[in-house]
Amino acid sequence: MIDTSLKRLAALAAAALVALPAWAQEISFYYPVAVGGPITKIIDGLAADFEKENPGIKVKPIYSGTYQESIVKALTAHKSGEPPVVSVLLSTDMFTLIDEDAIAPWDTVATGADDQQWIKSFYPAFMQNSQTGGKTWGIPFQRSTVVLYWNKEAFKEAGLDPNRAPASWKEMVDYAQKLTKRDASGKVSQWGVQVPSSGFPYWLFQGFTTQNNVQLMNTSGDTTFYDNPAVIEALQFWVDLSGKHKVMPPGIIEWGTTPKDFFERKIAMMWTTTGNLTNVKANAKFDFGVAMLPAGKRRGTPTGGGNFYLFKKSTPQQQAAALKFVKWVTTPKRAAEWGIATGYVAVRPDAWDTPEMKKYVEGFPAAAVARDQLQYAVAELSTHDNQRVTKALNDGLQAALTGGKSPEAAMKESQREAERLLRSYRRK
Amino acid sequence: MIRSLETAAAWLLAILWVLPLAYAFWTAFHPPEFATRFHLFAPLTLQNFVNAWDAAPFARYFVNTVLLVSLILATQLVLVTLAAYAFASYEFFGRDVMFALVLVQLMIMPDVLIVENYRTMAALDLTDTIPAIALPYMASAFGIFLLRQTFKTIPRELDEAARVEGAGSLRVLWEVYVPLARPVYIAYALVSVSYHWNNFLWPLIITNSVGSRPLTVGLQVFSSTDQGIDWSIITAATLMTSGPLLVAFLLFQRQFVQSFMRAGIK
Repeated sequence: MIDTSLKRLAALAAAALVALPAWAQEISFYYPVAVGGPITKIIDGLAADFEKENPGIKVKPIYSGTYQESIVKALTAHKSGEPPVVSVLLSTDMFTLIDEDAIAPWDTVATGADDQQWIKSFYPAFMQNSQTGGKTWGIPFQRSTVVLYWNKEAFKEAGLDPNRAPASWKEMVDYAQKLTKRDASGKVSQWGVQVPSSGFPYWLFQGFTTQNNVQLMNTSGDTTFYDNPAVIEALQFWVDLSGKHKVMPPGIIEWGTTPKDFFERKIAMMWTTTGNLTNVKANAKFDFGVAMLPAGKRRGTPTGGGNFYLFKKSTPQQQAAALKFVKWVTTPKRAAEWGIATGYVAVRPDAWDTPEMKKYVEGFPAAAVARDQLQYAVAELSTHDNQRVTKALNDGLQAALTGGKSPEAAMKESQREAERLLRSYRRK
Repeated sequence: MIRSLETAAAWLLAILWVLPLAYAFWTAFHPPEFATRFHLFAPLTLQNFVNAWDAAPFARYFVNTVLLVSLILATQLVLVTLAAYAFASYEFFGRDVMFALVLVQLMIMPDVLIVENYRTMAALDLTDTIPAIALPYMASAFGIFLLRQTFKTIPRELDEAARVEGAGSLRVLWEVYVPLARPVYIAYALVSVSYHWNNFLWPLIITNSVGSRPLTVGLQVFSSTDQGIDWSIITAATLMTSGPLLVAFLLFQRQFVQSFMRAGIK
């Protein structure tokens, strides 16, 4: 966009316009904003507290948009030689970041006596998306799973036990049929259940596939199994919820407005992230329950959310400082506080033994559901060339949900596309 | 008959166009319960605006955005005028090739150049500053093209008459070309200001701190993808940040429309 003469002109202008920033031992920290409320203020507070306890290190939080925008920003900065020192990015971006040679494994700096212990202190379900090839690339921070929220008042009206959520696929369909309210003309005023399908349908779909006891990809991230018969069966079940059983709105269901539909009693049950817990608690004007997702052949959910990554091009001093910060922010006490403030799942078992967390769970038992579900959780879909391989699946899912293709045809096509993208990564 | 049909079509389009804005007004001034429900006598509130204003340092972002768009526009007007003048009224070696190169810039999406631009800004030690957001847009190919075409339509006789009177090149530019191209300048300024007021991706990537970020990047605190969308607060924030542009457009609407008609930009 600008030619060299303009660059020179710009250099002159720059010298005139901007004084050089003062140098400081500083770690820049990209943070994607994914939950509402005063989240940036909490992060600023964490950084300030850390600086108080560790003079000599400055933590500079940089709010970098959504997860998608954050990875664009981080990779752009990396390619231009000015990457952040540490960044929260999606756990699923691990392979992409490794392929771009942007990140360093935490093991390279975490060499102290207690550091291996620290890496082992997180829930294994969260580490599935954080380790590959024997190295730890991500440290879990704001992690979530999919859970089922239900409206207890709607359950009572429909003659169901308000304190019991559906435990199996069959039960969910039965309940949803009782909960779907139609007027004389057949117009629905309350749907039984809603599983959102906009944006990232693969994530909710992974709930269905895991429950159908099938994996979507291998652990080295270079092969997908989109056209496995069990995967197609899981998709058929999802499609049937609106097509055959008529208990879910047809077409693509918007992720962003699903909680709102729940608050307004347009739906009696919804599948969404545990990250919504604080939101639902604040905005639902009725008694609600939170449960693990219903079981198909087994229970199951993917994990989701963001990990801390360490950027390769930062100096060893910065990396050591970053390690200190990340260890500080993931101590049991702070992991507990973070979970309470945001609704994300506290990432290590001992965080749940802290007095604050115990008191919180006592007053609000729903908060512990996600933790208890972790034993059934699997890694979120993550492969090399993640954005495109995932998009292949998303497109197939949406085509099937809108009735454009049969589940089988849609999944076969998604698999073909994923295969084409991943072939080159297997030759390495 | 055809006339009334045209009027009806115009009304229909106008209503379709204004609907999102009307929805934003409705939602922003009512409590969240009424975000998707319509009651004529729903209680009015300004609380959404208070919440939105408190969620980020918007006062600072306003200052930054105003600085940014004025910096871009001022530089653009100078560069574009001089370049267009040269292309329109001087014969020099390689003129057509250079003009073609300028036009090539029109074909390239700025987003493609993000990495290269970032590198340049890093080399200049400018990252995280307002000039860094502005620099890649200062030499506007669109502006050069637009003004060159306008200058070409200005009768040669006026230029020559001024020179006979003893005016130098810059005086001719200032007293003959610029006044005659005024509608084009207004139209171009509107396009430029609204584009840069709304630009998001590049400012997000090149800036890191409150001191340099414009409004659009400030709005990101409402993009709570994990939790779903709070329409009330988003619409309030959107109205708040696009308000100055809307008001300016309503005030100067007649001039804008006339400029566009004369400048032939659709």
